[in-house]
Amino acid sequence: MPLNNTNIVSAAQTKFGVLQGVSQREMFAEAVDKATIDAGVPKKDIQAAFIGTFIPEMLVHQGHTAPLLLDFAGLKGIPATRHEAACASGATALRAGIMAIESGMYDTVLVAGAEKMTSSTTPEVTEALAAAADDQFESSIGLTFPGVFGIAAVAHMQKYGTTEEDMARVAVKAHKNASTNPLAQFQKEISLEKAMTPRYIAWPLKLFDCSPISDGAAALVLTSNEKAKEYTDLPVKITGTGQASASMNLCDRDDLSSFSASVDASRIAYKMAGLQPKDMDFAIVHDCFTIAEIIASEDIGFFKPGEGAKAVRDGLTARDGDKPINPMGGLKAVGHPVGATGVKQIVVAYRELLGDAGPNQVSKHDNAVVHNFGGTGATCVVNVLRRADV
Amino acid sequence: MSEKPTVEEYLQNIQEGKFKAYKCVECGMVIAPPSGSCYGCGSSKMEWTEVSGKGKLVSFTVIHIAPDEFAEEAPYYIAIVELEEGTRVSARLLGYDPLKPEEVRLGIAVKMEYETIASGRKYLAFRPI
Repeated sequence: MPLNNTNIVSAAQTKFGVLQGVSQREMFAEAVDKATIDAGVPKKDIQAAFIGTFIPEMLVHQGHTAPLLLDFAGLKGIPATRHEAACASGATALRAGIMAIESGMYDTVLVAGAEKMTSSTTPEVTEALAAAADDQFESSIGLTFPGVFGIAAVAHMQKYGTTEEDMARVAVKAHKNASTNPLAQFQKEISLEKAMTPRYIAWPLKLFDCSPISDGAAALVLTSNEKAKEYTDLPVKITGTGQASASMNLCDRDDLSSFSASVDASRIAYKMAGLQPKDMDFAIVHDCFTIAEIIASEDIGFFKPGEGAKAVRDGLTARDGDKPINPMGGLKAVGHPVGATGVKQIVVAYRELLGDAGPNQVSKHDNAVVHNFGGTGATCVVNVLRRADV
Repeated sequence: MSEKPTVEEYLQNIQEGKFKAYKCVECGMVIAPPSGSCYGCGSSKMEWTEVSGKGKLVSFTVIHIAPDEFAEEAPYYIAIVELEEGTRVSARLLGYDPLKPEEVRLGIAVKMEYETIASGRKYLAFRPI
């Protein structure tokens, strides 16, 4: 049965990028203000908060972040819980919010995510991110995150003939979309030639195949059907949600050209929503690396296994294509403040579904699927969203 | 070889150049790296087993940008290798120029060895036969 009571009534993000001099708590509070005060949702209405953040202990030396962030944002007192699932932290926080509303325990909750990353050096961030892989069996021999996706890329290239140029086209698309998104880290188009610059991070992945190190926060308010009317005439409904896990170790996977948790989570979410991939007008997927978008587009059922690269070449995933993916620029060009990403993806889907995405608006926007992916793919969360008047 | 295997010993065995895998007592499945329960039958009863050291290359990458701890070793290969016994491990790949990865062919036969770095630390590694 589709979920019936979960409504998004506001959703907002800070600018993503190098937010010099802005601390995690300050960017968090900015996102919360945008999703509450600025959206006509009084803070006093919020009954509980679910917060995604991945590695504040390592990057800003701060644990127990949920009450701290909430206090700074003027919401002290209510239940505040932090959710951690690597890059899927935001979406696991969202799922807790969904369950809180669907259970009837609360009428109005806040879901938010934030990460402060650029105050650390690149090697520090690389090492901290590696905590999302198996420390004893894979990180300890020098496998990095780009390396994980490099291995997936080699497997996909071997099995389906995907090329480095195909991956570069994903980067070109991401930068094109982000060029008109004022909240993006990189608001600049790049040429295919530039995307192919052979500055290898983890072969075959090059600099422009990788999402950047970013700061940023995002927040949204979920309410019950009854409560939603107080805030908006047109909420966005979450009708299906799925989450799945897989082995942390890449070596324990049978197939390296697909991520089983993405396949499993998306099938659960579609089934719950009573819809199919063909019913989705667009997708927001976790393009931490260009190959990740190609694989995700296959795993969520937009294209058959092995046809994701062709879809990019043919322009199907462009903003004006048949199956737009990441029409505002994705993680690749908008930035990837890890804990904020899963919430920001919902913010993007919300804006697109309402027709509020300005120059980045997709033409058909009734139904959307949102895919958030954690670490080596050991966690995946997929949500299916629909505008309430559809 | 009959004591209950542990992760600590698994890692220590690699440091001593004496790799051993887990083997499910119930169904005989060979498992490495260690798992607390068998992927085949779910049993948590494990024992040590020797492996032939032969395998085939499943996939790989070349790490160019590494955390500080590994920076001096970069660029280096990380590979996924399927052992003859059926299980897959992550390891270093030797015998190829890290700047010529296009020369590496997936599916090639490889043999287990160890890579010892300046600090004396050992990595599980494979080299084409």
